[in-house]
Amino acid sequence: MQPAPRTLRTRTHAAHIVPLKRARFWVICLFFFSWAGIIGLRLFWLQIVRHKEFVVRAEKQQQRTFEVAPRRGVLYDRNLHELAMTVQVDSIYADPSEIGDKKAAAQALATIVHTDPEDNRTSEVQIEARLNAGRNFAWIARRVTPAVSAAVHNLNMKGIYYQKEFQRFYPDNEIAAQVLGYVGIDDNGLGGLEEKFDSELHGTPGHMYAAMDARRKVLGSSERDPSPGRNMVLSIDENIQFLAERALDHTMEKTQAANGTVVVQDVHTGQILALAIRPTFNPNQVRHTTQSVLRDHAVSDVYEPGSTFKLVTYSAALDQHAITPDTVIDCHNSVINVAGRTIHDDKGDHFGRLSAADALAHSSNVGAIEVAQRMGAEHFYQYIRAYGFGTRSGIELPGETRGLLRPVNRWSPSSIASIAMGQEIAVTPVQLATMVSAIANGGVYLPPHILMPTQPQNNGAKILPSPFRPGADIPNSLPSGAHRVISTMASAQMRKMMEGVVLFGTGRSAQLNGYSAGGKTGTAQKIDPATHTYSKTMHVASFAGFAPVSNPVIAVAVIIDTPKGSYYGASVSAPVFAEVAQQVLEYLGVPHDTELHATHPINLQAAAVHEDEGDDSSINALYDAVNNLPSDDPLRSTPTKSAQPASASSNAQPAPPPVLAAPTYTKTVTIGGAKSLHVPSLTGLPVRRVIEQAGAAGLDVQIVGNGTCRQQAPAPGSIVPSGTRIVVRCGR
Amino acid sequence: MAAYATMHDEFGRGAKRMAGHNAELLAQQPLRRRRVRTPEFFLTKNFDNSRLVKASDPVRLRQMRVFGAASAALFSLVMVYGLQHFYAIESSYHVEQEKQIRDQLREENRQLRLTQAELTQPARIDAMAKQLGLGVPQPGQVVHANSRFDQNTPVEAQATPPPPPPAQ
Repeated sequence: MQPAPRTLRTRTHAAHIVPLKRARFWVICLFFFSWAGIIGLRLFWLQIVRHKEFVVRAEKQQQRTFEVAPRRGVLYDRNLHELAMTVQVDSIYADPSEIGDKKAAAQALATIVHTDPEDNRTSEVQIEARLNAGRNFAWIARRVTPAVSAAVHNLNMKGIYYQKEFQRFYPDNEIAAQVLGYVGIDDNGLGGLEEKFDSELHGTPGHMYAAMDARRKVLGSSERDPSPGRNMVLSIDENIQFLAERALDHTMEKTQAANGTVVVQDVHTGQILALAIRPTFNPNQVRHTTQSVLRDHAVSDVYEPGSTFKLVTYSAALDQHAITPDTVIDCHNSVINVAGRTIHDDKGDHFGRLSAADALAHSSNVGAIEVAQRMGAEHFYQYIRAYGFGTRSGIELPGETRGLLRPVNRWSPSSIASIAMGQEIAVTPVQLATMVSAIANGGVYLPPHILMPTQPQNNGAKILPSPFRPGADIPNSLPSGAHRVISTMASAQMRKMMEGVVLFGTGRSAQLNGYSAGGKTGTAQKIDPATHTYSKTMHVASFAGFAPVSNPVIAVAVIIDTPKGSYYGASVSAPVFAEVAQQVLEYLGVPHDTELHATHPINLQAAAVHEDEGDDSSINALYDAVNNLPSDDPLRSTPTKSAQPASASSNAQPAPPPVLAAPTYTKTVTIGGAKSLHVPSLTGLPVRRVIEQAGAAGLDVQIVGNGTCRQQAPAPGSIVPSGTRIVVRCGR
Repeated sequence: MAAYATMHDEFGRGAKRMAGHNAELLAQQPLRRRRVRTPEFFLTKNFDNSRLVKASDPVRLRQMRVFGAASAALFSLVMVYGLQHFYAIESSYHVEQEKQIRDQLREENRQLRLTQAELTQPARIDAMAKQLGLGVPQPGQVVHANSRFDQNTPVEAQATPPPPPPAQ
């Protein structure tokens, strides 16, 4: 009986122990399962639910994106001479943690990189401050010259590193500075075409994606190359631009004017060949300029055109058949009363009955008013608009203003008289040149452009030069925005009348040697911003013309603002036109169409045509017009001294006799190596003799008509290459 | 002393060397007598395997040859792949180097074009011409032999202008 209780005790003991172990087992299991479950849930939360968030955070921690700057596009002139281009230069930076004596390092570096005294960023103090402030990076000098970079290299200083950066260069310095504009330190365009086409010139930046470890070391990288900016071709000819700027410089030096503008335009395409503005700046050193010289007076400033606007009055009247060049106009002894306002010609003028051509040649205000009144205000306004006044021309330059022109329903009774002689209206120099081009090319308004039509590029196609062809004609299919303003006949009549202005009228100082020229002078009083009245001391002298008259090639507008001393367009601006037109036509190789003179033909005593006074009503109208301009118009934003509207009057003063040395050249320079010849005089000879003489001289001849020679072109005495065709008109 | 017995056989030098060795060991015995006196015997046994002949196995031989050929082909392929792989890497380095040279030359070309543009700027040439005593050509002094102007363009003949009217 003994074993039984032991067995029972044993069984009882086992029965007590086994459930405890199982419970512990399951508790531990539960614990581990719970632990694993919590971990799993946490992982699910982190890896699935918040997956995107952590991916982004990891990328931020592990990856760095570096922007790779694109190369800015090149600006070419029409002959593909670089006007603005970008090359790589060194920028110098330092790792301050590697530099021991920062003061000594700053001193050594500043002696080399501080080349510009006005540049504070490269001074010793500034460099030392940056070295002390930065932990691992500090700029020393950005975009240094190769010489400076080499000098710093020679220091062999520890902790100094170099980075290639793009630098914009303008190889011609001041040439066409306002047109090109300039760029800032971050390669952003800040003026001119650089600003207007910044997005296209800038290009698209590339990116370098770098994976980095915890110690910020690059593990690997991938790149996306930057796309360079678009290259652009301007319609400007670098040499014509230089000739225009040099002529303007001569006048600015003589007259000490506040500013001056010369616009040279191709009459058959509307393309701007030169746009010279003074004072100017060097876009390579923009830090040394003031804000005022950055202004593009050719499109952002307006002035009252004065007598140059009479071209619009007369051409409109001719097209309307209101007058002919020979129509006699009564100038009422140079005094007229319009709506109670007395207007007279310049002091000393007492014109009676003049032909329309003579009235224009002598710049009679009364004559212009009479002509305008024959047309009527509505028609006159339509022609003004058709010539592009009062609207933006669309030229590819920033800050263009549309000028000041009130609609005809807001004209006062005397407005037609004021506008006929160039008051109560304000224009830009480019608008004026475009108007002259329209008259010169046969009556078609061609909107001005300063960029050549876009050529395909960046796909392997090479940009081709587009040299100016002076013999071209208006394109058969007119470009967008072009339209006929006056008839071909009216245009021809106007050309003749404008030639008369230069030959016999107020623009005699615009005569050329070997070329015919037509144009119109203008002298306008400026408004004194302090008194809101016309100033007696500040004037705008202008001249707008074209050459040659027989087959116009270029139109030139010259505006000289506030010249000192003589202030008449005849004496200040017309000589600039003569200098520019003469040299440009010679440069282009345009055949002479008048006789060459050994000495300059200018022997000028231009008729004295004095200012007449404007009245306050027109001034107030101008100020009202300014206030009604759109908010983005440049005239509203920056009222500068030079941007004030001016008053006009008929012009012309006795031009001082030019001091010109007689040409002493003894050699003829032949470009191209062919033999040059003097054109013989064929006038008065029968056709047979004409052919014989031309053949003997080595010239080709084209006979028009029968009988004896009446006219010839080129003129006798012209120097032409052998084989040139002489056009001879014969008559009985 | 059976322990000092030396076994001689008739197999030449080996036996003699063995005998010499045994004699040395025997001579060392007195030194070890205080510890364990263990006689040492060295026996020589000769084997004759000349009766063993390897039997020829053509199947196995063919398998070995096929295996060898396959191994050689695989090895060749691996080597060719490795060769072209490393050649490609080397070429990419070369291409990259050439690209760098190309970029360098392009940049140099740009620098030269900039220099050319700076040297040919009209203002600089004009200033140099003035320093040399040269002036602006007089009208008609320069003749364009290959004039860009179209000689066939109709032009209007100009009459000699009449004298200007007397000044008023």
